[in-house]
Amino acid sequence: MTSNGSNGNFFMRGSVALSALLVAGTLASAPAVAQDKYPSRKLDWTIAFGPGGGNDIMTRTIISIMEKYKLYPDKIVPENRAGGSGAKGWGYVFSQKGNPYHITSTSGSFITTPLQANTPWTATTFTPIALLASDDGVIMVNGKSKIRTFKEFVDQAKAKPPAIGGIGTVNVEFIVPKLLSERAGFKFDYVAFNKQGELTTALLSGALDAAMSNPGEVLGLLQSGDLRAIAYTGKKTPKALGNLPTLAELGYDLGISMPRGLVMPPDVPKEAQDWWIAAMKKVVETPEWKEYIEKQLLTENVLYGEDFRAFLQKTQGTFADILKKSGAIK
Amino acid sequence: MDIFSNLLIGLSVALTPVNLAFLFAGVMLGMVVGIIPGFGPAAGIAILLPITYGMNPTSAVIMLSAIYYGSMYGGTITSILLNTPGESSSVASTFDGYPLAQQGRAGPALVMQAVASFIGGTFGVILITLFTPLFSLVTRSFGPPEFFLLVMMGLMTLIAMIDGNWRYGVISALIGFALGTMGVDLETGQTRFTFGSAEMIGGIDFIPIAIGLFGLGELYYVFYQGMHLEGAGIVQYRKEKRFWPEWRDYVETRFTVVRASILGFFIGVIPGAGATIASLMSYSLEKSLSPTPEKFGKGAMAGLVGPEAANNAASSGAMVPLLSLGLPGSAATAVLLAAFLMWGLTPGPLLMTEKPEFAWGLIASMYLGNMALLALNIFAIPLFVLMIKLPYRILAPAVILICTIGTYSVNGSMLETWLMFAAGLVGFFMKLYGYSPAALVLALVLGPLAEQSLRQTLTISRGSFGIFLERPASIWIMGVTVVILVAGILLYRKRQ
Repeated sequence: MTSNGSNGNFFMRGSVALSALLVAGTLASAPAVAQDKYPSRKLDWTIAFGPGGGNDIMTRTIISIMEKYKLYPDKIVPENRAGGSGAKGWGYVFSQKGNPYHITSTSGSFITTPLQANTPWTATTFTPIALLASDDGVIMVNGKSKIRTFKEFVDQAKAKPPAIGGIGTVNVEFIVPKLLSERAGFKFDYVAFNKQGELTTALLSGALDAAMSNPGEVLGLLQSGDLRAIAYTGKKTPKALGNLPTLAELGYDLGISMPRGLVMPPDVPKEAQDWWIAAMKKVVETPEWKEYIEKQLLTENVLYGEDFRAFLQKTQGTFADILKKSGAIK
Repeated sequence: MDIFSNLLIGLSVALTPVNLAFLFAGVMLGMVVGIIPGFGPAAGIAILLPITYGMNPTSAVIMLSAIYYGSMYGGTITSILLNTPGESSSVASTFDGYPLAQQGRAGPALVMQAVASFIGGTFGVILITLFTPLFSLVTRSFGPPEFFLLVMMGLMTLIAMIDGNWRYGVISALIGFALGTMGVDLETGQTRFTFGSAEMIGGIDFIPIAIGLFGLGELYYVFYQGMHLEGAGIVQYRKEKRFWPEWRDYVETRFTVVRASILGFFIGVIPGAGATIASLMSYSLEKSLSPTPEKFGKGAMAGLVGPEAANNAASSGAMVPLLSLGLPGSAATAVLLAAFLMWGLTPGPLLMTEKPEFAWGLIASMYLGNMALLALNIFAIPLFVLMIKLPYRILAPAVILICTIGTYSVNGSMLETWLMFAAGLVGFFMKLYGYSPAALVLALVLGPLAEQSLRQTLTISRGSFGIFLERPASIWIMGVTVVILVAGILLYRKRQ
């Protein structure tokens, strides 16, 4: 276990509880003994997307950290329940109401899918555990473009409305430029793409004036100078992007991020929620987690319990407002 | 020579025992992934992805890429023997592959497909070796306007694909276009014809439709004819028919394989197009150029060789944007790209210079992989051919079972499984009344792409069609389209 001075008190309590749990875990053959102590059984972890995606990689990273530091006393079984942009997996978790041995990871669709389809749940229905990181994007232009800074981009945009590309419409890649244009006072045409490859090629071919994208998938093209990043949409720019300014630093603090976090089914006991919050506080301090954040170019953005629910509530509200205005949803 | 020394580096990497072992594991898995209907290379790679965590990236990429191009070989086997495409990219191979098998030429058809796949794949790797920087320029110039024109070129091939009653052909294509409108409207984000179901947000997947229309449709037709009662097999396979192709099979298709390889590679280089479109376009091209187009659909060897060379060349071509720009052009290469990121590599224009042993190790391994696949196919063919001797009453339930499991396993969706059975019924009636399932699938694949790319183009140009004349690449494509149209008309006149 990592040692961390400022959290010493918490850690001590944590380790006592943990050793008790480890003992309980070794007595797995006698479940009656462990029945009143949470957790004491196998945990089911739903991944609402297929293997290899961002959600999958995050989940497997957390599980391997929890195994390495022996944070969970029993087995954790990850299962990919992909389909319907997460509707299937999260719908399954929703049906596990009150079950403290079920958990799932969130991503952008956690907010957008219920807005688009008639799901019996929304992002705020679940028991919030923690927001761990956020998926943010870069706003970029073609490397041959005359635009070098975000300010030049805005000036140019006021003179002539740009065509800005992104993935999907009911997505942060539409919401961010939309909010930005309202704040900065320019108009633009949004061009939606289905896949990253098509979006990036369109920008490379000079068809688009700008695009918003996840930084990880275009990092190579940014480094080679084929594309040029002019702003980062998250709270803190990842190291790999150098000294690229964030939108907040440029004076446009939008506070919109795609949540990478954990939630449990609705109505799980407070005890289980607290246990997971405590466990996640340990996970985010490990070097493995720091490495994951850096490698995947995520923004570290940690909120626990009800603060996480408030974050989801706010993001969901902003999304619904804008998308209703644009006519994408009813 | 620079390329030569790079290739030597690559070979020295690919020929280490560990990497050879991973390569063979990859090609074997690729064959299996290809053979199971519905279960495609993207799903196969994704499932193996977690085990490559912490592996040497070069070994891992050699294995995962081999699954990708290996599946192009395997996917055709069921197309030929059971009329059931293993992958979306081998739908076109059912058109003439299955009739060939019905005529007792399953052996030659399988050998020819392996040879065509080998030539197409290897031709593609040679082009990657020599001209990757050049072809990455093609990728770079493809924005929505160019993509729309390319898709229109693809849709033109409907003219060649529809035969018999043209009214029925047009109706078939319209059904395909209509199905393609289901799901989220990309531009506005509104859902269309999803009946409120979250599972339908992504629209109708191509694979369950293709398996149903061709594979199950054919089986239902067999039941309708009562062939399962007679104890006969799918094919009246007679021993006296030769296993090896005849000399004229090679001679007749020698230009086909070259044309298809070039076409396939070009299409593969363009993100968003890919092996499925390449194989369907190649089929139409061969049919319109053939002196005997009436033989297509009834067991023309060129109708099998073309799509096979094309889809393999396209799977090689798809490596160009992946390696030279870090752009995924298809579902399978998108999973590969995710793997690059997972291994801590930065895909992009600098990858080939900064990690030559990775990029060139992969390229060199593709030469070896294609050779291994050719050998593997030829040895395995006699085994596969045994399958069609089985009487229907044993074979049919097995085929239905495999199609069901394959389709279900991709997304774990019961809806898609039912869709496959429904598509089977549609396919049966289409066969019974002479409609064109081929036109339907082509329209289903290309329709949504045409709609999206046109709307993207017009959003960018703010409604003006002038944009097509402002971009050099789009003028080029229009020029080629006009040449093809004129040549087609002249060819048709000459034949009349």
